[in-house]
Amino acid sequence: MNRIIILLSLLINFIDADNRSDQVITRQGQVSFFSYTSVENIEAKNNQVLSIIDFSKNEIAISMLMNAFVFKKSLMHEHFNESYIESDLYPKATFQGNIIDFDPLAEGIQTKMVKGTLTIRDIAKEVEIKTSIENNNGTYLITGDFEVVVKDFDIKIPPILAPNIAKIISIKFRFEYQPYEQ
Amino acid sequence: MNKKNKITFSLITLLLLGGFYIYFEFYSYPRMDINKVSTEIKTSSKNLTASFIKNEKNANSIYKGKIIEVEGVVKEVTFLNNRNTVILYGDNKHSGVLCDMQSNQMMEIKKLAKGQKIMLKGVCKGFLKDAILLNCMLINQQSNE
Repeated sequence: MNRIIILLSLLINFIDADNRSDQVITRQGQVSFFSYTSVENIEAKNNQVLSIIDFSKNEIAISMLMNAFVFKKSLMHEHFNESYIESDLYPKATFQGNIIDFDPLAEGIQTKMVKGTLTIRDIAKEVEIKTSIENNNGTYLITGDFEVVVKDFDIKIPPILAPNIAKIISIKFRFEYQPYEQ
Repeated sequence: MNKKNKITFSLITLLLLGGFYIYFEFYSYPRMDINKVSTEIKTSSKNLTASFIKNEKNANSIYKGKIIEVEGVVKEVTFLNNRNTVILYGDNKHSGVLCDMQSNQMMEIKKLAKGQKIMLKGVCKGFLKDAILLNCMLINQQSNE
């Protein structure tokens, strides 16, 4: 009986330790986007992006509040939230995917593809993003950039403002992960 | 008479243009000073996270976009991504209140210690794993010193 208890507690401990090392989290990931046109450049940053990676399956999940993007001008912020993203209706953008062929135990920088679904305004798109992943003794830094086509997400821009907003928006991200305390 | 009309017309146009310029240059910047706007709701970090966990939709309708005053205990102060962030303990181990501080708060938040009870004010943006507050500033500092 005693042996069973010891075995069980060992097993629980093992699972526990396993969980701890398998997941990393950031609550303060940074996502920024840029729209370059000859009329004006628009840039916004979100510094409160949540992301969790589960290394046992190499799964990555990202979630952010669209109204937490900070712009240079409040008018841009207003247009973005009220007319384009409609953040009252669609408050979050998410990404769910896998890091392909990633070895979480290898130290240093690896360049890997992340494949998954990006959801903005409840419209899901399959994307493939080249990312750089740096493992520094159990903390991970993931950076990269990619492009999003405004039309893909059914974002309606009034003709009068069309010259001010790029058709393709570039997006940059930087996530610094810490081990996730279960 | 015609000349007079022309002058008034151009004067009005000038005034309008000037007005637009001032509006776009000065008033359209989001650097609102939280100090100058009044608090709409007062709560604690525990209550805030608990109400979001219980019913996010409901909590959003109460807190989102509002200027709220939150009392809580410091869990962590970070300077990641060149931002000054104070994280307050929430209702449970996994959730808290993430407060992005105004840049003029830098000196004040450097003095904060883990476990210290503070009160701050900011704009609630919603909830992910933590409640998120932007444009935050510490208040009632004198009671801590």
